[in-house]
Amino acid sequence: MIGYESETTPLHRLDPRSKLLGQFGFAVAALAADTPPVLGVLTALAVGGLAAARLTPWRVLWSYRFVLVLLATAPLFASLRLGPPWLDPEQAPGSVVAGYQVLLVLLVSAAYVRTTPVRETRAAIQHHVPGRLGQLLGVGVALVFRLFPVLLDDLRRARLALRARSGHGLGRVEWSRRLAQTGLSRAFERAATLSLALRARCFAWNPTPPRLRFRWPDYLLLVAAATLAVSPLLR
Amino acid sequence: MITVESLSHRYGDVTAVGDVSLTVEDGSFVVLVGANGSGKTTLVRQFNGLLTPDEGSVTVDGHDVGDEPVAARTSVGMVFQRPRDQFVAATVGADVRFGPENLGLNRAEIRRRVDDALAAVDMVDRKPDRVDRLSGGEQSRVAIAGALAMEPSHLVLDEPFTGLDLPARRSVLTRLDDLHEAGTGIIVVTHDLRDLLERADRLLAMSNGGLVADTTPTDLSPLRDVDVRVPDGR
Repeated sequence: MIGYESETTPLHRLDPRSKLLGQFGFAVAALAADTPPVLGVLTALAVGGLAAARLTPWRVLWSYRFVLVLLATAPLFASLRLGPPWLDPEQAPGSVVAGYQVLLVLLVSAAYVRTTPVRETRAAIQHHVPGRLGQLLGVGVALVFRLFPVLLDDLRRARLALRARSGHGLGRVEWSRRLAQTGLSRAFERAATLSLALRARCFAWNPTPPRLRFRWPDYLLLVAAATLAVSPLLR
Repeated sequence: MITVESLSHRYGDVTAVGDVSLTVEDGSFVVLVGANGSGKTTLVRQFNGLLTPDEGSVTVDGHDVGDEPVAARTSVGMVFQRPRDQFVAATVGADVRFGPENLGLNRAEIRRRVDDALAAVDMVDRKPDRVDRLSGGEQSRVAIAGALAMEPSHLVLDEPFTGLDLPARRSVLTRLDDLHEAGTGIIVVTHDLRDLLERADRLLAMSNGGLVADTTPTDLSPLRDVDVRVPDGR
């Protein structure tokens, strides 16, 4: 699971607001890209972003392996028809491209997650989206980033516990049912505990935000983000 | 000072705490003992409004906890039984900073509080470290720092030694001694009195939701019927 690591990479030093806008620009360009040369350029940018965050593509791909399975099977589902001839292979290439576009966005988001503390993300979102909606989005993102790794860890432990007690003898359906049941129950338990911890620490919708500061590399990133965002219109 | 008056708390039909009254003086070292399910955690969670009493009231430094929960939560810091349950951020610094940020303090004051709290638990150089990669003892110390950053007058620790090895246990005890010496009231919830008798000013015992003993470490006879672990020779 990719999470924030305190380091001193160039991406760590960027302001989270410019990083969010950079991601937005990249996502617009990636989702509009449909030719191999453009996808190639965007791939190079994404891999460069990962390198700047000291991440390897392999580590990110492994971390997103469950999403990759979905993306890999998407062309098959896209080719299915509800009547004869049941399969229409001509639909598959479009789905492959769409899957690759999503993958590029995921790679860039991994670099963001690795280099940005959650509290800074929350502050950046509240800056970009003013008012109650921004607060709600900021808190939502912060809670997801906090809860998701914990829930994954719980699932991993539940799987280990099943294995340790000879759960491998269970059928696939029974195994999945027990895992889902345990996972769901622990998710509720975790949510309740987190809510208690937040109250104990005087949770506020509008806490003192961390200091966010634009430096010259942030302006470069903004120019790049704007260029990427309008690039589909220029082709 | 924490004042509890005729407090009762029920979970459905089960009375977890029944008609408990007590006061805890500022700067005291109180140990609350009792077997599992005796109502200890339910009682202390009322001290800072994490639970609301069905009957009775709690006041902290003159503030009614029900009416002013934020004042109560800043006066009574709570360290949970499993420190990991208490963490709300990924790194040590961010987690300790979380409480003061919620109080809306200015950045210089937040920085001072975080540094002071981490210094008190000897973790000041560990701010960038991820909390999930710390040892059990270090996690306990960060959890204590998270509560200390609110600058509470009382610190409640719920079973703070569960799962800690001897060096980690000693390290936490040393921090508690320092805090107590600096004037912070300490309330330790436990079922194991080892290492605590020589520190405590007062022992409270709970059984079946009721306060059954209020004594001092020099007289353990009221604890005879309470299911707690007392050090050998006492």
